[in-house]
Amino acid sequence: MRRRKWIVAATGITAALALAAAGALAADDVIKIGACQPITGRFAFAGVSINAGLQDYINYANENGLVKGKKLVYIYEDTGYDTDKAVATFKKIMAKDNPVIMYGDSTGLGKAIAPELNSRYKVLYGSTSFSSELADPKIHPYSFVSGPTYSDQFGILLEYIAKNHKGKGNPKVAFFYSDTEFGKDPIPYARKRAKELGIDVVSEIVTKVGAVDVTTEALALKKTQPDFCIFQGYVLAPIPQVIRTVRDYGLKTTFMGTFWSMDKSIIDKLGADAEGYMGVSPYAYYNEDAPGIQSMRKYNEKANPKEKSRPNSYIQGWFTGMVYVEAINKVLAAKKPVTGDNLKDAIGMIRDWDTGGVTGKVTFVNNKAAVGRVYRANVVKGIFEPVSDWIYVK
Amino acid sequence: MRIGDYKETYAADEAIFRTPAVRVWMGALGATMLVFPFVAGDYLLYLANLIGVMIIGALGLNILTGFTGQISLGHAVFVGVGSYAAAIGATRLGLPFYLCIPLGGAAACVAGTVIGVPSLRVKGLYLAIATLSAQVILEWVFSNWDSVTGGIRGINVPPATLSGVSLNTDFRVYFLIYAVTAAFTYFARNLFRTRVGRAFIAIRDRDISAELMGINLFRYKILSFMVSSFYAGVAGAVWVYFAKVVTPEYFPLSLSIQFLAIVIVGGLGSIQGTILGAIFMTLVPELLKAGTEAVKPFFPDAMSYLFPLRDILFGALIVGFLIFEPHGLAEMWQRVKRYFALWPFRS
Repeated sequence: MRRRKWIVAATGITAALALAAAGALAADDVIKIGACQPITGRFAFAGVSINAGLQDYINYANENGLVKGKKLVYIYEDTGYDTDKAVATFKKIMAKDNPVIMYGDSTGLGKAIAPELNSRYKVLYGSTSFSSELADPKIHPYSFVSGPTYSDQFGILLEYIAKNHKGKGNPKVAFFYSDTEFGKDPIPYARKRAKELGIDVVSEIVTKVGAVDVTTEALALKKTQPDFCIFQGYVLAPIPQVIRTVRDYGLKTTFMGTFWSMDKSIIDKLGADAEGYMGVSPYAYYNEDAPGIQSMRKYNEKANPKEKSRPNSYIQGWFTGMVYVEAINKVLAAKKPVTGDNLKDAIGMIRDWDTGGVTGKVTFVNNKAAVGRVYRANVVKGIFEPVSDWIYVK
Repeated sequence: MRIGDYKETYAADEAIFRTPAVRVWMGALGATMLVFPFVAGDYLLYLANLIGVMIIGALGLNILTGFTGQISLGHAVFVGVGSYAAAIGATRLGLPFYLCIPLGGAAACVAGTVIGVPSLRVKGLYLAIATLSAQVILEWVFSNWDSVTGGIRGINVPPATLSGVSLNTDFRVYFLIYAVTAAFTYFARNLFRTRVGRAFIAIRDRDISAELMGINLFRYKILSFMVSSFYAGVAGAVWVYFAKVVTPEYFPLSLSIQFLAIVIVGGLGSIQGTILGAIFMTLVPELLKAGTEAVKPFFPDAMSYLFPLRDILFGALIVGFLIFEPHGLAEMWQRVKRYFALWPFRS
């Protein structure tokens, strides 16, 4: 009897040790990436694709062995695009899986989690946000923006305008933005930058998101006759209404947008009114032929044969995955442990990185890669076509 | 098992915790809540803190709507006023948290008093719209009065410190939140054993007869608004120390509606119901989420349908509750208690 107990105990201890060893081994070979994704709620239209893009790239990296000797594991949960729930989800994933990289669903989460991210969690943090506020390494040392901030996007458009404006006098520009954080984010910088480039900001119009009656705003545009009007802080409404009304007044204004109003779907919604619609995109589109985009398409033909096209938010997710993998590889190349601190330093060391044409050459300064390209809508083909090369701003 | 409910003194009749059983249970609850943060993980602690803040805010709304019968669609902005006042107190004036929390309450109280003035003339749906305007106006003020509120980017707030200890983790904030929650629950419970509280209830039940009984309607309605928005302000101030950032996007109309949902689902005119409502409204979405997460490995493709379905299910659950138990969770709780009071001798 005594003997049997002893054997049981010995077996138990051996099993426990073996399990612990296996666990340690597994933990060494696995790099966990957690994500709080806005799969439901107001932002779901993009959240679903962002999640798909990020997840697909991680699978793609695993299949192609892009991270030598390690397996990436992707853990995601829905937040409903609610800051409180997103914070809860963040903490839940950190407590359960303890990943070294996290992905967040909003600017709000980035701000709310910042104190604890800096003092406690210390993980690399990417997000859906292009907010200029996150591009401050002093307050947000662990965060990065997957591309240019909204300010940079305005900078790119304004530079394009200054260079390509034909006609007498300074180009006249109107800013048309929503009364939200998303809408107001780049405006102070844009005012300053316009002045430096010799562009006259002739009017600034602020509305609610999704405003339906835009007659007064269109009249204001008619009065000031801008050559260009840049939208910020909208996804769709009221952009079509504004363009239609202004066209009815016979204005020749060129309308422009930033990332969220630059998806292919806006051309479908605008129809013939999309003619001449322009804007800045941080990434190439799914229909382009850059090698990075081709391998993205090839992956999708195999893994998701039902998806014939992918929105720009999918590419945003995919690109964020690329940044994660690049940072991990930089840390591994330096023979350092994969920790949030090392990853965050690695982001800052990314210089002139070739992404295979998914975007321009990527250099991270102040937590962001300030590169983008100006595109114009081709109504007949229903796609955006580049009208400039990659533009780099500071 | 409880047999009789026999009281020998007025003091016993008026006691808050009337029977030894209740006292034992309350003691057990208190002990559990003290032990909870030591055993709970980050995620549960965060949810618990969230619930604590919601309880304070919802108690305020229940005092106004459930006990005084004055509907308000602007409760979220009073929470906001409290948050901003506390944030400004903590950052610009450098006040400690034990001054910032009453400051938040006081600021919201002033705002509530102003908004409450029309309540003498307008009632019911009209009052709902009047308070809705407060929601719209103050929300606009939060995002546009840049020099005070920091505009759309809001204010970052350092953690509260108590004699050198920084309350910078959920574990430490838990004690702050629940100390305040307990104090305010106790106050609310006591309020309705006083002349003021009974006047509130009289106004709710029939304002004209309340006036005939000598209750000054204007005074008590304003008082109700003041108490209610003071609660909201305190909730906001405590929330600031919990979230450490305040932006206008935290106080949308949907938060006001969530507060209303808490008091309706929990039980109008019930302190206990408010607490149950806050727990229900915070935990059930999380439970539903956990449910959908659990089936994720089996139906990876169905997720895009299942996630939105969760919201529908949550909505259906609330409607179901209201149809089958219009008095809310508080009444269900009472029924359960009654059942067990004589169990197992009567079912």
